[in-house]
Amino acid sequence: MATRGIDFAQLSLMEALDLAILIEEEAQERYEDFAGQMEQHRTPGAARFFRTMAVNEGRHGSALFDRRTELFGPAPRTVSSAGIFDVEAPDYDEARAFMTPRQAMESALRSEQKAHAFFTEALPGIQDADVKALFEELRDEEAEHEALVLAELAKLPPEPGFSEEEFVDPPAAQ
Amino acid sequence: MSATCEFQAKDYRSDLKPIWCPGCGDFSVVASIYRALAAIGRPPHEIAFVSGIGCSSRIPGYTTAYGFNSVHGRALPIAQGIKLSSPELLVLAAGGDGDGFSIGGGHIAHAIRRNMDLTYIVMDNQIYGLTKGQLSPTSQKGRITCTSHYGSLEAPVNPLLYVLAYGAGFVAQASPTDIAGMAAIIEEAIRYPGFAFVNIQSPCVTYGEEAQQIKGLKAISESLAALGHDSADRLAAMDLAQHYGSKLHLGVFYRDPDPAPTYGDLVRDRQALLSQGALPKERILDLFIKS
Repeated sequence: MATRGIDFAQLSLMEALDLAILIEEEAQERYEDFAGQMEQHRTPGAARFFRTMAVNEGRHGSALFDRRTELFGPAPRTVSSAGIFDVEAPDYDEARAFMTPRQAMESALRSEQKAHAFFTEALPGIQDADVKALFEELRDEEAEHEALVLAELAKLPPEPGFSEEEFVDPPAAQ
Repeated sequence: MSATCEFQAKDYRSDLKPIWCPGCGDFSVVASIYRALAAIGRPPHEIAFVSGIGCSSRIPGYTTAYGFNSVHGRALPIAQGIKLSSPELLVLAAGGDGDGFSIGGGHIAHAIRRNMDLTYIVMDNQIYGLTKGQLSPTSQKGRITCTSHYGSLEAPVNPLLYVLAYGAGFVAQASPTDIAGMAAIIEEAIRYPGFAFVNIQSPCVTYGEEAQQIKGLKAISESLAALGHDSADRLAAMDLAQHYGSKLHLGVFYRDPDPAPTYGDLVRDRQALLSQGALPKERILDLFIKS
């Protein structure tokens, strides 16, 4: 989780909203990618969960975009996704072939925790009162998302005492 | 932040879905390339991306740049030809350690000595993954694979020392353990006016050993900047590069503070010089007519 070239002390509200939108877009895209990878590896349970997460992130992104448009109209973005790295998106190495739904949810939980930590750590450096309020709101939302994922995890039946990977043929030489 | 952003990372992402194994290190590499290109801001149609053969060589197809998934080990000759004929293009070449340092190994020295203005990214996973796990030129001695049941008897190629010894003007190493750092290094390599080499320790989740996965790589990572390394000092870079395989030094090993002219520059100078006394095309036959 990192950002590059973003000075939180100088962020305007429009830039902060754009940053938040880009963070949600990155997470949406990553969950879609993970869902596609799971579908490719015939792991429908994990794929379904990742698709749900992608829809949720897309919804958050759209809500932020509507707010940004209402406040600032079509003013061009000055924040670049070139400086945003896995803030709310799960790290690429979180994905594994044949993930169980529990493993998929646990990776989403870690991602929500990452995003929560990002907003928490950025807050002390923010000077603009409106940006501060936005970041506090986003931080609290991430805490809510963590709680939602935890609730979903609690609904799952206990994991069997074996890994599905144990039944997968080992990679074979050609 | 005041300038508007003409390009975002997603502008360099193609609709083609990567078919790498879930968790593969190459996902982070392509994501870093999207970000580096967005930071540079060249439109996709001004970029040519050439690769060889292997898992990592699929990478041009996952970008919106002009791509050429070419012949095994031949990314560099093709990339050089493109750069020479279309110097206005930003040219990237990429491949794996097998593609670059085994079958394509002979081409690296020549691209370096010519100082072609291109960036060569090697996704080094110490294994041939596409063909299901055989020894590659950077596999560690003793490595057990399907082609080395009793362990490899060969010492690995050191890609960093290799390119430093041939005089590359820009040499760096990155890893998905630090994706922001990787994007910054790729951006710096692309901006370097001359041959730039980036070795990326990119884990193979299917055939790689535990020590080569993200957790293992993090355990041996050290930032060159934090070590106080002077990237203008080639000998210091070579000294550090000797730790390849035991330590993972991340950052710029060497950046020529006074970059030499590129081959393209020299060719254009030569063409300008020779064209001074040249006859116009319509009088070229005069050369063969005795007065």
